[in-house]
Amino acid sequence: MTSLPTGQRFRVCGYSRHNSFTERLREMGLTRGAQFTVVRKAPFNGPVEIQIDNSTLVVRGADTALMLIEPA
Amino acid sequence: MSDSRATIAFVGTPNCGKSSLFNALTGMRQKVGNFPGVTVAPKASYVGDERNGRRLLDLPGIYSLAPKTNDEQLTIAALKGEQSNLPRPDAVLFVIDGSNLEKSLFLYAQFARLGLPTLLAVTMIDAVKAGGGALDDIALERALGLKVKCVVGHKGVGLPDVRASLLNSDDFTVPPADGIPGDDIDAQFSWARKIAARVARSSGPDKRSRAIDRYVLHPFIGPAIFTLVMLLFFQSIFTWATPLMDGIESLMGQLAVLVEYGVAPGLLQNFLTKGIIGGVGSVLVFLPQILILYLFITLLEDFGYLARAAFLVDRLMGVFGLQGRSFIPLLGSYACAIPGIMSARIIPSEKDRLTTILIAPLMTCSARLPVYVLLIAAFVPDRLVAGLLSLQGIILLALYVLAALAGLLIARILKSTLLRGDSLPFLLELPPYRRPSLRNVGLAMMQRAGEFLRSAGTIILAMSIALWALSEYPRADQLAAVDSIEAESLQLEESALGSIGKLIQPLFEPIGFDWKVSIGVLGSFAAREVFVSVMGQMYSVDVSESDESLRTVLQRSISLPAALSILAFYVFALQCMSTIAVMRRETSSWKWPIFAFAYTFVLAYGAAWATYTICSALI
Repeated sequence: MTSLPTGQRFRVCGYSRHNSFTERLREMGLTRGAQFTVVRKAPFNGPVEIQIDNSTLVVRGADTALMLIEPA
Repeated sequence: MSDSRATIAFVGTPNCGKSSLFNALTGMRQKVGNFPGVTVAPKASYVGDERNGRRLLDLPGIYSLAPKTNDEQLTIAALKGEQSNLPRPDAVLFVIDGSNLEKSLFLYAQFARLGLPTLLAVTMIDAVKAGGGALDDIALERALGLKVKCVVGHKGVGLPDVRASLLNSDDFTVPPADGIPGDDIDAQFSWARKIAARVARSSGPDKRSRAIDRYVLHPFIGPAIFTLVMLLFFQSIFTWATPLMDGIESLMGQLAVLVEYGVAPGLLQNFLTKGIIGGVGSVLVFLPQILILYLFITLLEDFGYLARAAFLVDRLMGVFGLQGRSFIPLLGSYACAIPGIMSARIIPSEKDRLTTILIAPLMTCSARLPVYVLLIAAFVPDRLVAGLLSLQGIILLALYVLAALAGLLIARILKSTLLRGDSLPFLLELPPYRRPSLRNVGLAMMQRAGEFLRSAGTIILAMSIALWALSEYPRADQLAAVDSIEAESLQLEESALGSIGKLIQPLFEPIGFDWKVSIGVLGSFAAREVFVSVMGQMYSVDVSESDESLRTVLQRSISLPAALSILAFYVFALQCMSTIAVMRRETSSWKWPIFAFAYTFVLAYGAAWATYTICSALI
């Protein structure tokens, strides 16, 4: 996630594994097929801000490693 | 519960406006904030009269029926009737965030299957319209098969309508579950998106928030703003409060003079001036500072800045084994550790939550402020640095930073020893910026002022009276022989209090506390502010005789290394019975509060010793 360019849209293709955190990501709207935008990234590999539906979420890049994405 | 009134629970996603609506409906002073997780404990209130009334229950917000944190767990258990101390709600007011329909409708998809009679309330309509969007409530009613009410809680729009519906059971119906997908999250979210698209024209993400965030979250400007906000915060505590403090101080002085005129010299006069005015009055002086502190924190919270701050500091928190979410309870602890420790419930990982609770007492709460301000004002020269910043403000900031760094280091150590384990991932929602509501800010300040005055009226008054009695008895001999000032200090030395002070003083000898300060420190294990009132009492001997303030008397009586040593001690020591009690409740064991007390005491003593030794050598 931290390597993604900002300002671009991506699509969630699925998750490589499921746990309670990926469940929460899906409950926040990051379901299969959903599109989101990377808004900005905090410096020094800090958290990433993304826009999904009408929500603005902040996640750590390392925490979203299980999420499979492709450019939308 | 013997109450026969039906219970209606307020359910919705975090930060959807539940608490605002709840307050607007009930006139209750439930704390509202602009970040997810403000309501971490259920709050109850009533509408209507005895015959036809309802008990309303404000529950913490949830994202789904599969809990990830303690506060979500509570709401879900309550809805299922599995929460022992709460009745199962008879009906639910389901609050839908109009500016984030998808998320609210997703929760609704899961909620509908619980089968509770439900009425829908749509909030944030004003934000949708302002952003150029629209929401068709009739279409929503038709799509979900339930009655829908639109409200703007803080403006009072739609409130009478909702209030009337709350009292009318016919407006609550069991949600028809047909068409709503079962178990699968992906399918439920698709359903939510489909309904949202059908009933509303989205205004998109809040444009104003976007524009503000371009600066507030900017990689360079953002941290600069953050630092500036924090600096302004500490400067304001000193500069804005001074005139108010001077006012209260002179009022207390006049009161003491009045008593000296009106009451015949003797035990009663002595009790009133030294016991009551000297003890309680010296603490009351700090009310303005505490109010300014709360003003600031509530404004930041209402505005929506706290969640941004969590984003900005997450990387830094990561270095110490914590995550951005811990920042919110920790910043809250700067006002008071008690709500701070309670709001740690929003942290999903149990180990992170415990770590946050254990270091929360190191965050400089407002009760330390009186001690800091008194000593800094007495020992740090009042002058400007670089022509702009007050030196006293800088020292105060330094104490706050010192405590915060120590807390983070302790967190790091705890996370790699006692509370080792993987951190749960960091996920936070940034709320749109909102204009702080004056009412809300005012209420938060009033509440805190009330608590402060209550503590001044109870615990500090009781301590003041006890200390006064201990300082007046047993009576010293040969009082007649010397003049009045000497007689008073002789009395203090020979009193029970003097004996206690001298008894414990050896313990504090290595850190430079004399017996008077030792008594102050001992007394402040009940509550920190007591220190100031004890000093006020101990030195009121001198104060009443001359026209000096407590500050100048302290300057003469305490050496600089000792004063710095006291400051260092207060930076770390956990001297607050209420904090220990709430830690016990939140961790369900005595183990953690005892641990916290012990480690902070060791730290406090060590820091005071180092400060005293080094400063004595230097000066």
